[in-house]
Amino acid sequence: MLGVEAVAIELDEVSPGLRSSGKVLLVKGEKVLEDDGDLAATSIVEVAKAKGLQALLVGDTRFGRVVAAKAAARLRVGSLGKGKRLRAEGGSLVVTRDVYGGKFLADVAARLPCVALVQPGSYSAAEGSAVPAETMTLTVGDPKIVVKETKRGRQAEAGIKSATIIVSAGRGFAKKDDLLLASDLAKALGGALGGSRPLSSDLGWLGEEQQIGLTGAYVHPKLYVAVGISGQLQHVAGIKDSKVIVAINNDKEAPIFQFADYGIVGDLYEVLPALTKLLKNG
Amino acid sequence: MNIVVLVKDAVDEAELRADPSGHPIQKGATTKMSNFDKNGVEEAVKQKEEHGGTITVLTLGGAESKKAMREAMAMGGTRGVHILAEPEAAPDSLGTAYYLAKAIQRIGEVDLVVCSEGASDTYMGQVGAMVAEFLGMPFLAYAKKVEVDGVKITCEQGVEKGVRVLEAKLPAVVSVLSETNVPRYPTLLQVMVASKKAIEDVQLSTLKESDYPVTGFEVLSVTVQPVNRKRLILEGKPEEAAKKLVEALRQEGVL
Repeated sequence: MLGVEAVAIELDEVSPGLRSSGKVLLVKGEKVLEDDGDLAATSIVEVAKAKGLQALLVGDTRFGRVVAAKAAARLRVGSLGKGKRLRAEGGSLVVTRDVYGGKFLADVAARLPCVALVQPGSYSAAEGSAVPAETMTLTVGDPKIVVKETKRGRQAEAGIKSATIIVSAGRGFAKKDDLLLASDLAKALGGALGGSRPLSSDLGWLGEEQQIGLTGAYVHPKLYVAVGISGQLQHVAGIKDSKVIVAINNDKEAPIFQFADYGIVGDLYEVLPALTKLLKNG
Repeated sequence: MNIVVLVKDAVDEAELRADPSGHPIQKGATTKMSNFDKNGVEEAVKQKEEHGGTITVLTLGGAESKKAMREAMAMGGTRGVHILAEPEAAPDSLGTAYYLAKAIQRIGEVDLVVCSEGASDTYMGQVGAMVAEFLGMPFLAYAKKVEVDGVKITCEQGVEKGVRVLEAKLPAVVSVLSETNVPRYPTLLQVMVASKKAIEDVQLSTLKESDYPVTGFEVLSVTVQPVNRKRLILEGKPEEAAKKLVEALRQEGVL
């Protein structure tokens, strides 16, 4: 429970369980989510001012970060993020977050009113009645940025953020087609396919929404299988809440083994088919 | 084209150690140019090579930040502006953006401000958008591709949902991603030349005016996150190890 009245944007998609002892008003609207952030920032600021709300909460996505920054700059208030946990304390909002590549955990505070970015999945859906919706008419100026075209990403892996089993691929895979080994394993386990940042961003073998790590998604599965992933801090930051972590890598010095419960030092091209076969037959 | 590129001298998280009570040993911690900022510098240099003009490397940080600035200048920066701020008294995102914006306003006719998606040590991703707000410029975020044509800037923006093609009028602020380009390695000659280029020192107090935003930002605690994992290595040939793993996962109750 947050203990302070708030207005939120894109929050229901990312952390639906975050509730407050006061109101949490959600800003929704198709156009809002298609914009570059100016319209969304204007909306959230106007609602906060009109309703006298103290906390502006934004889901931590690329879009959300821009909205939060603009809203904070316009109101000239602090912006905190990416928060795993939030609490109101002595006239301030306190956010618990990863810093230094996820090596350390920090509690940072800013005086209310302020903006805070909320890590997707940090508050899972709560039971209880839905927040009542209100309608407000807002006046917004002309956008400084024109959207010429929107290219939707490929059909995303259904909810990597809510998956209970994840098989994750890294640079250990030699080519894109080889990811079939990982997706076969994922299927055999009944899980989803994710990956480290290089595979989505640099190589384009996976979608952005499948990226797991400090700059991507934080996941909370009961089982996380890291295949051909070296275990950089930035990747590990996103998997800390996994119940069981398995690492498969042919380099016994790979840092990932320090962050795993079970490790197999071996060739993924041999280990994965063996695993998949066992699971299908067993 | 007059370009400003924002560079942060960030704590090298791989080298950062914790003291016995779990707090980071910040005094004397190794620093490096924030990883993603290299892509920002590379983008600025590419635009300069295409359109001509100058690049000002702008940094807010302590004395040791000059090392990162020289690196950026060796890649192709023309000159540097160093806002001196000791790490112990470092402002938060909004304060940092305020000072950077004030410094940019003092530089004068600026066409393009380039930054990266976030700092490698704190990764908030707020400063770029805030600088744009203070300067009243459009902010083109997460640009995979940047094209400037006269006073028009077009970029391909990468977000979780897909790619959007954006267009705006200069002057503008743009943030780039690690996949936007491959940062060049300066030659020894470029490094030597960069060591002679001018860096102007600016005191924080000379930039602070009555409109400085006070946010009450405070770091309450920073503690190391312990790693509590079993670290069991399952030996044997692939089939044997796989068998052991499936057995272990069944025991764990995750299968």
